[in-house]
Parts: sequence; C-alpha cells; structure tokens
Amino acid sequence: MTKAGDWKSYKRVLLPPVKDLHHLDVYQEQGGYQALRAVLSDWKPEDVTAEVKLSGLRGRGGAGFPTGLKWSFMPPVKPDVPRYLCCNADESEPGTFKDRQLMEYNPHLLFEGILIAGYAMSLKACYLYVRGEFASWITLLQNELSKAYDAKLVGDNILGTDHSMDIIIHKGAGAYICGEETSLMESLEGKRAYPRIKPPFPAQSGIWGYPTTINNVETLACAPIIINRGGDWFAGVGAKKHPGPVLYGISGHVNRPGVYEYPTGMLITDLLEIAGGMRDNKKLKALVPGGASVPVLRADMIDGVTMDVESLQEAGSMMGTAGMLFLDEDTDMVAFLRRVARFYHHESCGQCTPCREGTGWMENLITRIDDGEGNLRDLDLLLDLCDQMEGRTVCALADAAAWPVRNTIKRFRGDFERRCRPAAWAVNA
Amino acid sequence: MADFIRNPVVALPDPNPASHFSKEELVFTAEEKEKIAEYVAQYPTPDGAVMWALWLAQEKFGFLPSEVMRLVATELSLPYAQVYGVATFYTQYFKEKKGTFVLDVCTCFSCQFCGGYDILAYLEEKLGVKRGHTTPCGRYTLQEAECLGACGSAPMMQVSNGPYAHNLTPEKIDALLAAMEAGKPLPFVSVTLPQDEDEMGGNRRTDAEVVEHYAVPPQTKRTQ
Repeated sequence: MTKAGDWKSYKRVLLPPVKDLHHLDVYQEQGGYQALRAVLSDWKPEDVTAEVKLSGLRGRGGAGFPTGLKWSFMPPVKPDVPRYLCCNADESEPGTFKDRQLMEYNPHLLFEGILIAGYAMSLKACYLYVRGEFASWITLLQNELSKAYDAKLVGDNILGTDHSMDIIIHKGAGAYICGEETSLMESLEGKRAYPRIKPPFPAQSGIWGYPTTINNVETLACAPIIINRGGDWFAGVGAKKHPGPVLYGISGHVNRPGVYEYPTGMLITDLLEIAGGMRDNKKLKALVPGGASVPVLRADMIDGVTMDVESLQEAGSMMGTAGMLFLDEDTDMVAFLRRVARFYHHESCGQCTPCREGTGWMENLITRIDDGEGNLRDLDLLLDLCDQMEGRTVCALADAAAWPVRNTIKRFRGDFERRCRPAAWAVNA
Repeated sequence: MADFIRNPVVALPDPNPASHFSKEELVFTAEEKEKIAEYVAQYPTPDGAVMWALWLAQEKFGFLPSEVMRLVATELSLPYAQVYGVATFYTQYFKEKKGTFVLDVCTCFSCQFCGGYDILAYLEEKLGVKRGHTTPCGRYTLQEAECLGACGSAPMMQVSNGPYAHNLTPEKIDALLAAMEAGKPLPFVSVTLPQDEDEMGGNRRTDAEVVEHYAVPPQTKRTQ
C-alpha cells in the first residue's frame, strides 16, 4: 500500500527507468505485452472492464471520468455494427506536455493499453488522434507501430488468437477544439471540428454513427499496469478516490521544470520541492494546477492541498490534466489573463454565438485593462460575461474560457483594480 | 459607412483567381495517388482521409490555394466545399504562400512567462519583419503560435510544422538560423526527464541525435 507521503520511495511504472524502452525488443524483455498475452488467453472481456473498474482509474485527459464505467457504457456487440476506440493524443491544453513524453519514451505501453481496451470492449479498430504539431512524434509512433504489426502484436489474429485489431494514426492540423471528444470525432470524419450536442453520447453514436469510446493517452497506458499488477494494487496507489500513478507536467518559474511521475494525491508543496523550488528563491504568487481552463490558486490557498479530484475541489480548483504552472511574485496577473483570453478567442471554433463573441469581448476588455484604459466597472462586466457564457454552448470551451477569467479576477482583484482608472466617486483619486 | 448604406454590395472574391501552378504541375503523381488510396482505405468513407490528403498536398505544393483544394477534392471525390471547410478550419494548413521556413514561436502562458515574447521580439528584430509576416527574401515567416505542448522547456518554437527547438536563447536562435541558411535539416530533439537524469544519469533514448534538458526558465522582460 503506497501512501501519498511515500513519494520518495516511489518506483515509476508508466516510465520505468529502463534505457531504450521505446524499442519493441527492450519493452518485451521488460515484460511488455505480457498483460496482452494474459488477457487474450485467460480473460473474458467483461472481466477486464471489471478489473479496470476495481482499480478506480479515472481519465487523465482533464475531466477525470471513471474509465471502467466509460468502457461499460458500450452497447452489447451486434454483428455488422462496427465499434471504435479513439485515443485522444490531441494534447493542446496550455501547460500540459505529458502525453508527448509518454509517446516518445514508452509508445508500446500505449499500444498495449489500446489493445487491452479494444479486447475489453470487443472492438477491432482504434484511431490514434495525434495533434498535427507533434509531426516528429507521429513518425516515431508510426515506426514503432509498424514493428508491432510485424511482430503480430497488432493487426489480424494477434499472437495467434482469433482477436484482431488495427491501430490507425490520424494526424490533426492544429485546433485546440479537437481535444473535445465530439469534435475529435467530427475531425476524424473529415469535417470541420464542430462539437456535437450530447446526448447521444459517443458510446451510442460516435464516429460515423457507430459506438465509440474515447480515452486519453495516459489513461490507456494505465491499462497494462492494472492487468499486470491487479486492480487492487492500482487502487492502493495515491489518493483513495482518485488512485494511480500520474504524470505531472511542471512548468513556469521553477528551478527544474519537466514531466514527473508520482502517485496522485501528492502535496502541491512537495511537488514544488521536487521541481527544485521557485526560481531565484522568489515567492510563489499563483498556481494553475491542471492546464489553462482550471481556476488559478493563490499561494495562500495551497497549504495542505493534494493533487487529486477531491482535495483540489475543496480548495476551489480542479485536477484537469495535472499540467501545473507555478508563477512567482513578479508575475503580472492581468497580462496572464490577457494571454489566456487570447488563447480561447483564437481557439473558439465559432459554432455557438456566446463563445465565438464572448471570448472576443473577454479579450478586448482584458486588453483594455492591461493597457491601463480599463474602468472598474469592466471587472463586473467581465464577471457578468462569464455568467452569460457558461453552460450556454454545445461544448465546454466557453466554460473553460469563463472559469479562469472569473477566478483570476476574484482571487487577484486588487491586481486588476490597481490597473483600472479610478471610479468617478473615488475619494483619493 | 454612408457609401455602404447607399450601395450595400460587398465585393466578392474573384471567382476565377489566377492559378499559382501550371496545369502540368497541378497533378498528383502515381505514387502520391497510391499513398492517398492507402489513406482512404484506413477509413470507412473517403472523408476521413481529407486531412492526410491535405497534408500530402501541402508538402508537395507548399501551401493550399483553391486550385490545390480542388485537386484534393477531385482525388477523393468529395465536394470542394467540404475540403475548403476543412482546410480553412485548421491553423496548420497554409492558405497563402509562406516562407521556406515557418517559425512558430509559442507564446501561450507558460512560454509567455518564461520569455516567449522576448524570443519573438528578438526574431522580429533579427529578421526585420513583424509577427505574421514573411521576410522580403521569402525565406522566413514569423508567427506567434498557441500552446505547442512543450511548456516545461519554454521558451520554444516549431520550425515549418516539423521539429521543435527547446529552451531558446538568442545564441541558440542564431545557431538555428545559421543551420537553416546552410540548408542543414534540423534534428529531432529529445528532452530528458528530470527523474531520468537522477536515476539513469541522462536521456533514456540512446538513439537520440540531440538531447536537451529541462532548464531553469529565463527572466521575462515582455509579456505581449
């Protein structure tokens, strides 16, 4: 049983310390594809899903939905109705860079995870949607994938059994919205990536209208570990309600940024210590714990907070993708918010009016404040704008744009007010 | 404004713009057609192969003017409108001619506070063009990019939708530009995990051509 405090003795499982683990032969020497062999010979598909449910694995792509439950949403197999798995490698959330490193250093763990998930849901094809910017990594993945095909690990009659499955790499072309599952499906179908209204959920009507499950890279990479070590082992790692190993992508004003593998439920202060502390011994001012869309935390809000769904929710934020951005005392929060708003304005797909127009107005208002021409009432206008956007669009991009704006203004209101023109009624103007 | 009220007609774009390529140039070779057929075979309908086919066309022609989109549409037997819709939706498909090297400097928030805008300003000064423009010689296009997913090694940039360059400094940029001038292909850079440095003494890929480490980010001067 690993407790959250035991991180010093933690042994990495997603990225174990083995040289050249990305080579198929090294991966197999290290016991790779053992989980797949075991599953194909001795397990029933529903037992695999049950084991994943037992492990308590939650999606690592941001929403944190229980993976086993998601898999069990797939309807019963019907002959002549294809069903698909999509692996979401469209990692574009600002502050997140873990999937890229996982694909670079341990691609076969991902392939094995995809194959196990495919067996659990009795499906025969997986589309691996990689963002277009990762062109170099697509080449690396394709090389390793063709080796796996040659070794009969992927394709027809895997390892001599009658289970067959294909993995097809799809290259995106630079759109943040494709990370949203329904727009990822639209993009795969060769359309503009406009999100779809849910329901119907992908499990009922996904790509080309067939049942589909969409999982993040890191989520699928956990599947072989769960099979090898057992769901109860996995459930005992890290936080109770959000267990397992997780890749923390630490960036910003720290001495040693990078991707770190540790259990969930790590104290934020411990993670800051692991990352070498703040640069130039400055004080921490703000922390974004899980990518651009999660609410920012003030330095005084992180004491005793751990990196898991429950603890972060209590602290007033979210786990997101565990892409942590630490900002030091010199950071200009208005400039920060201006850039975040610009990002969402640029990446709004334009389908729903509240988001298409709202993100633009957000950027304009914050730019005005940043340029020193804002009025105090602009802050309340911004908060009102957040209310007008949230929950009024097809997908969650408008919500994701509203949360950081609302929370940054709320939590750093002084910083914003100092940049605004004084109100007409101010006494000491 | 008044003129617009009296004569509320917006000039439409030229319906038959001059082609950027000659008729002989504007074809896919047998090999490329085979490649596209391979892509089509990976999807239940030809629609799915649009993105791959556009990538192939962009590699061949450099950018995607309307005649190239039409060529892709014909090859896949799809309506031109659908191909146009896809090509104009995604930022990495170039709708107008770009420089030989497209420099996408990431300035999203991790890079913003780790010197991304300083790098962009340095490049603006060095190349003599503002962001979003191409140098008069047609060699470089300088662009500001949204998060490229390498936040730990900020500031960074991507060259021509291909390799990443991490932990940029003015010196590194000079070296990169010199390599591009000399026509050397930029290598794939593998960034070492901090835990690997501690436990394995370096990068885990022994076949990596160039290895980079996550570094302390520089002080930021500009934030826009």
